[in-house]
Amino acid sequence: MSARSTLLLARKSLRARLGRTIAIAVAIFAGVSFVVGSFVLADSLRATFTNLFAEINENIDLQVRASIAFGDESVAEREPIPLALGDEIAAVEGVAVIEPFLQRYAQILRPDGTAVTTQGAPLLGVTWSGNPDAGLTLRDGRPAAGPGEVAIDKATADREGFAVGDRIEILTDVGRQEFELVGTIGLADADGFAGATLSVFDLETGLDVLGAGDQVDVFELQIDEGADLATVQERIEQILPPRTEVITGDQVAEEAAQGINQFIDLFGTGLLIFAFVTAFVSAFIINNVFAITIGQRLRELALLRAVGASGRQVRRMIALEAFVMSLIATGLGIIGGIFFARLMVALFNAAGLGFPETGTVLALRTVVMALLVGVGITMLSVIVPARRAARIPPVAAMHPELGFAALSARRLVGGVVVTAIGVTMFLVGLFVRPGGGTGLAFFAGGGGLLLFLGTASLSSTVARPVTRALGWPVQKLLGTPGTLARENASRAPRRTSASASALMIGVALVSASAVFAASLRDTFVRVLDRAVTADYVITDASFQGMTPEVAAILRDLPELSAVSPIRATLAQVDGEQRGIGAAEASALGDLLEIDLVSGGYDAMADGGILVHDDTAENLGLATGDTVTLTFQNGIEDDLPVAGIFRDNTIAGNWLVSLETFERITELPPRDFFVVARLADGVDPLIGDDAVRASLAEFPQLEVRTNAEFRQQQEGQINQLLIVITALLFFAILIAVLGISITLALSVFERTREIGLLRAVGMNKRQTRRSVRWEAVIVSVFGAVVGIVLGSLIGIALAVAVPDNVIEVVSFSPVTTGLILVGAVFAGLFAALYPSYKASNMDVLEAIATE
Amino acid sequence: MTSTETASPAPDSTVAAGATDAHKVYGVGESEVRALDGVTISFDTGRFTAIMGPSGSGKSTLLHCLAGLDSLTMGAVHIGHTYLAELDDTEITELRRTKVGFVFQAFNLIPTLTARENIMLPMMLGGDKGDTAWIDEVIATVGLADRLSHRPSELSGGQQQRVAVARALASQPTIIFADEPTGNLDSQSGAEILSFMRRAVREFGQTIVMVTHDPVAASYADRVVFLADGRVVDEMADPTAEGVLDRIKQLGE
Repeated sequence: MSARSTLLLARKSLRARLGRTIAIAVAIFAGVSFVVGSFVLADSLRATFTNLFAEINENIDLQVRASIAFGDESVAEREPIPLALGDEIAAVEGVAVIEPFLQRYAQILRPDGTAVTTQGAPLLGVTWSGNPDAGLTLRDGRPAAGPGEVAIDKATADREGFAVGDRIEILTDVGRQEFELVGTIGLADADGFAGATLSVFDLETGLDVLGAGDQVDVFELQIDEGADLATVQERIEQILPPRTEVITGDQVAEEAAQGINQFIDLFGTGLLIFAFVTAFVSAFIINNVFAITIGQRLRELALLRAVGASGRQVRRMIALEAFVMSLIATGLGIIGGIFFARLMVALFNAAGLGFPETGTVLALRTVVMALLVGVGITMLSVIVPARRAARIPPVAAMHPELGFAALSARRLVGGVVVTAIGVTMFLVGLFVRPGGGTGLAFFAGGGGLLLFLGTASLSSTVARPVTRALGWPVQKLLGTPGTLARENASRAPRRTSASASALMIGVALVSASAVFAASLRDTFVRVLDRAVTADYVITDASFQGMTPEVAAILRDLPELSAVSPIRATLAQVDGEQRGIGAAEASALGDLLEIDLVSGGYDAMADGGILVHDDTAENLGLATGDTVTLTFQNGIEDDLPVAGIFRDNTIAGNWLVSLETFERITELPPRDFFVVARLADGVDPLIGDDAVRASLAEFPQLEVRTNAEFRQQQEGQINQLLIVITALLFFAILIAVLGISITLALSVFERTREIGLLRAVGMNKRQTRRSVRWEAVIVSVFGAVVGIVLGSLIGIALAVAVPDNVIEVVSFSPVTTGLILVGAVFAGLFAALYPSYKASNMDVLEAIATE
Repeated sequence: MTSTETASPAPDSTVAAGATDAHKVYGVGESEVRALDGVTISFDTGRFTAIMGPSGSGKSTLLHCLAGLDSLTMGAVHIGHTYLAELDDTEITELRRTKVGFVFQAFNLIPTLTARENIMLPMMLGGDKGDTAWIDEVIATVGLADRLSHRPSELSGGQQQRVAVARALASQPTIIFADEPTGNLDSQSGAEILSFMRRAVREFGQTIVMVTHDPVAASYADRVVFLADGRVVDEMADPTAEGVLDRIKQLGE
């Protein structure tokens, strides 16, 4: 047989089995499009934001800003700089235009007084002179000029129905004020920026209403035409006061893009993990379908051998079939992935994230990955079935029973070995952690992969007893169709376990996440119970923190006995970056239980610092010692250790008083949250009313009682679990599709049997029922193995995480119950097509089938 | 009375099943095949009838149409007092389960069920237990009492066919159709099955219609009907193997 005839046979065979071909192609397609989609989405967003920042900063030559002593330039919080510095800079030779820029908190209010909210994006008030080179572009009307005027971003105006000429109320740290909307603006090509709201004032008004006094954030400069950038930059450097710097516009753009790209990378990597899970699950389906169909084609393949094809040719034919099919499916998958990425952007925008117009970036790397996943996985999947096919003796054309030799012993040993290696790698990765983050990913990820492969292989040894046990109630309830469902589910344990394996992996991941999330949640609840003695927690919906005014108002309430804002900043101690928290020293003891083992709050109020005992031990610190902190603004300070505490779950490892904090940093004061305690004897209902009424001026604030705060935290963890489950949805969908395909192939194999059953009196309904419940038994089997495996993985993960994050391991019976119910429905769904096929067979043809 | 019933008189109570002017055409135009071309025949209760004929004579088609596995192009078939054309799929299934027994040439049993479950299958599907005494008698007669918990793969070909015959008898159907029941068996096992079928007719009053091409098998029947080109061309009562063979030779000329 020549290469050409191999090709011909492969093509004919592909066409002859269209249904099966489509099934495998769908599995490849789904895996590839998810992988491609993840890459395309991340690449496109990255390119878009890089472009956007480049455009915004295109005409800015230089920027003057506060410098930082250490840390990440792109996300640092910088102190403001004096407006007066601008005059000195303007006088420097070569500086053509200088634009002071200010950005603070500004909440737009609707005409009915409610707050215009975002999905966590910031609510910004900025200044703009109207200079089109300063990043902002005018869309309608004119720039704000003078007190009482404001422009807002076009995206917000369109969404909220504001039009030029409207009166609009804006709440800032200074208070609530009414403005006339004189224009709408955009950023370069975008109408808005990633869901944020922008209120744009002229400089004078901005300084006033945004509460900046005589300070701005940065100066943006344009230099004289023909002037040399480096020379001007150098001249400015000469006159700058300490702790300020001048950088080029290109660098500004780069840093801004870098900041957002870190987020995009994280997000892209997260998506990619789920994409690979989907691809991995697809591989099981592909492998299983090839294995079954080659079994079904035994006679045909044996006949080829009988008429003179060599084993090698048969193997090549199968491989060629797989190659052609996977290549086509991968091509479609790439197209699907591009659509997937666009769909995600549309979804984000629908959720109010306001991404700018996104181009589509299909990098060469993405195409290579797609081929590796699509073609690679298929070719790997087909190795074993193709080798088996090549070993079919020609005589099997006449005696099919001579086709395959048993492999079970070798398979069992292989399964045990792979599982053992997987478990070892997984545990080593989690607990020994060689090689840091990469080591963790390699060992835990690789171990998990092997663990799944091993379990899938081993699950065939328990498939018979488990499916028989699961089938027992089905048989009791449904009679003969139930008996047949049970018998059919357990008759070919390898096939049952192979078709359930894909679902097993999906369910295992959901279960592991569920155990992890439940443990995280229960730890959190425990910590909150123990550590937060405050009755109220007040937070800001946009995560920008709130004005100190809020804490001041609450302090004046007679219903409250203790109030403290919590702030945070970064400092270097002993060359390492650390988070420093600040709180009201006099009230802290009444609000948080941090388990002080030595020292006290008085020393903290006197300018001391509280240190967590692990950290103190590492640095050899004791109460009374002095520790040197370098803050991000470059200020170095020696602080006496006021005390050592043991519980760092809420407040971090370092705590100073608000006074100390304000002495050291000149950042505009923002409180991340405020905690408060009811005075003794005050009815909680009256207290609630008083707190809420006193903060009515701040619609963006969220006032929660201790119980509500706990519920909200729990809710966030539950949400995380929902997101993970949703991302696993594709993998689970493919798994269900896999069960459906396997079952359809089984039904096809059992044509005669079904024909016979119909002939001796089984009606269509009973036929459908028996196939349907067979699918349910198989999918519940996959779910049960998955729940067991996933729960064990989840427990290992929860144990591996440090105790201050997870200290209890919890198992959620409700989630497990939901997964099992889901598995029943998955089975019913998977059976739709096969059961229809089975019940609508022509009885006579079915009986006559060879 | 409807016109259908006037066209074909109500079946005699001694008739288990029958066909009236049965036509079955496959395909259209030049590729048209007349598998049945006006067959009128009836099968008396308590008789063992063999249907013979060369390949393509329509004997299998007749059997399938009588059993409700296939439908006629024209004409009528009935089982007992029921005309099949008047029934929908569910009713025909029900009829097959309760009034008809089947023995096929091969692959008679569900591989996942035990011998007993296979015998009980039609009754289990209908959710009834059947006549226990009768079933025990059938099982005793086929001599399989000690193999009831075995699966088909653990039984010999002859044993499998005996289970199939037991299943056909177990529900006490109006009529049993057997399609080359001994075609896959050695002569020893075949003879056992045929004797057993004859006993079922003689001793239990069962009605059996069997399609075969084997004159020896046909000689176990009370009556042989010869088909050729979709028509009944001859019949013979109380046949012997030699008599049948002679008749086949005559028909072949």
